[in-house]
Amino acid sequence: MNRIITYVITLLPYLAVTFQYVLTSLFFGTIFGFVLAAAKLGKNKALKRLAIGYTTVMRCTPSIVFLFLIFYGLPVLFRTTAGINIDGLGTITFVIITFTLFLGASLSEIMRSAYESVDRGQYEAAVSIGLSSIQAFREIILPQAFAVSLPNMGNTILFLLKEGALGYIIGLIDIMGKAYLINGNEMGAHILEVYLALSLIYWTLSIGIERLFKYLEGRFSFEKENKDTITYRRG
Amino acid sequence: MLELKGIHKNFGKHEILKGINITVEKGDVVAILGPSGSGKTTLLRCVNFLERADHGVINLEGVETNCKTAGKKDILRIRKKVSFVFQNYNLFKNKTALENVTTGLIVAQKLPREQANAVGKELLNKVGLSDKYNSYPCKLSGGQQQRVGIARAMATNPDIILFDEPTSALDPELVGEVLDVIKKLAKEGVTMMVVTHEMGFARDVANKIIFMDSGSVIETGAPREFFRAPKEARTRQFLKRFIDEPEYII
Repeated sequence: MNRIITYVITLLPYLAVTFQYVLTSLFFGTIFGFVLAAAKLGKNKALKRLAIGYTTVMRCTPSIVFLFLIFYGLPVLFRTTAGINIDGLGTITFVIITFTLFLGASLSEIMRSAYESVDRGQYEAAVSIGLSSIQAFREIILPQAFAVSLPNMGNTILFLLKEGALGYIIGLIDIMGKAYLINGNEMGAHILEVYLALSLIYWTLSIGIERLFKYLEGRFSFEKENKDTITYRRG
Repeated sequence: MLELKGIHKNFGKHEILKGINITVEKGDVVAILGPSGSGKTTLLRCVNFLERADHGVINLEGVETNCKTAGKKDILRIRKKVSFVFQNYNLFKNKTALENVTTGLIVAQKLPREQANAVGKELLNKVGLSDKYNSYPCKLSGGQQQRVGIARAMATNPDIILFDEPTSALDPELVGEVLDVIKKLAKEGVTMMVVTHEMGFARDVANKIIFMDSGSVIETGAPREFFRAPKEARTRQFLKRFIDEPEYII
């Protein structure tokens, strides 16, 4: 038991790396996903097909395969097309690129379906009182779509947290990578304890994220009591 | 003040509106009657560009807008002067009753929040919802939601309010409270066009009846003449079930 706790303490500092790629991929993935969702919902047929096709390809690629494709393929692509050498980029950059591209696809589907779940009448009502399309989107559609998307968003972040552990394969030293190194150094003497310690960290994190999203769902739900009873002010 | 000239609308090959001409004067309460599928709702939606008519001209307060070529600015101008009450209320689900009423003022008209709230509260009081300022739509009954919908339509001080079957989605018990509010507004001189199936309401409140069938205006008239002595055969046929309905006397 003590040993497990010791391992947890050894691993914890490397959470910084885990958080770094989770948050960065999430940030860029959200922007990319938004662009893809806009393309899917837009009128331009070519863009629409491109976005849908991209999403399909991403869905059909295992994350580990795609990670290798990026890690080995991207430098080749850059060298042959632009003559730029990107071998010097840190491993974490490749992990972030991989998951940004992945998240873009899955988040775009979440955003698209959330947008489509908002009744057309909400938009019509907004423009009928003189709001522009953009104002209607910002004030009415987006807050409602956001609330709808929360459970799926939570799932996606959990997915990212867990799939991100694959980064150790290309040499990323996050909590998973560190656990792998420890086992290597100790020749696997306490392999079970190391992975138990790792599991404890992942479990705690996942439960935390789950709780956070449950809380957010409650907070952003509109099926609630009168506003008097709630003390926050939205947007 | 509002004149519709030659409004045409097709959905695919199906001709919904076959050239509608209607004039509404200030203070008019125009009831649009007709069987389902006659194009009443589509006509109303064409007025504030929820649907875009294929042909026709909308003259609002002397400014003509061609339906076919109207740009964003023209549409916004009309929408700021013409508001709409929906059959299924369409209250903003993410906003309280008060916010539903004030959003148009704050976001579109850039009114300071306090001022908008004052207007919003006054309007909610007027429709009898002084105790529901902070309720979300999901906590309100259909009748209450529709009354918020009416307050929201009033908020921007429009020239005319379009009502699209405002009581059709309501429990029979709740119809009265909504009609009462509309009646009250009519008495205050608010100009409105009301698509409705409530014949009693049309007869008592409207000062002008328009009867539509399969995309055309069949008959126009004052309610008294319209209900007592309809000129057209199609109108008589339509009104038959409302007039000849036997009353049960025990």
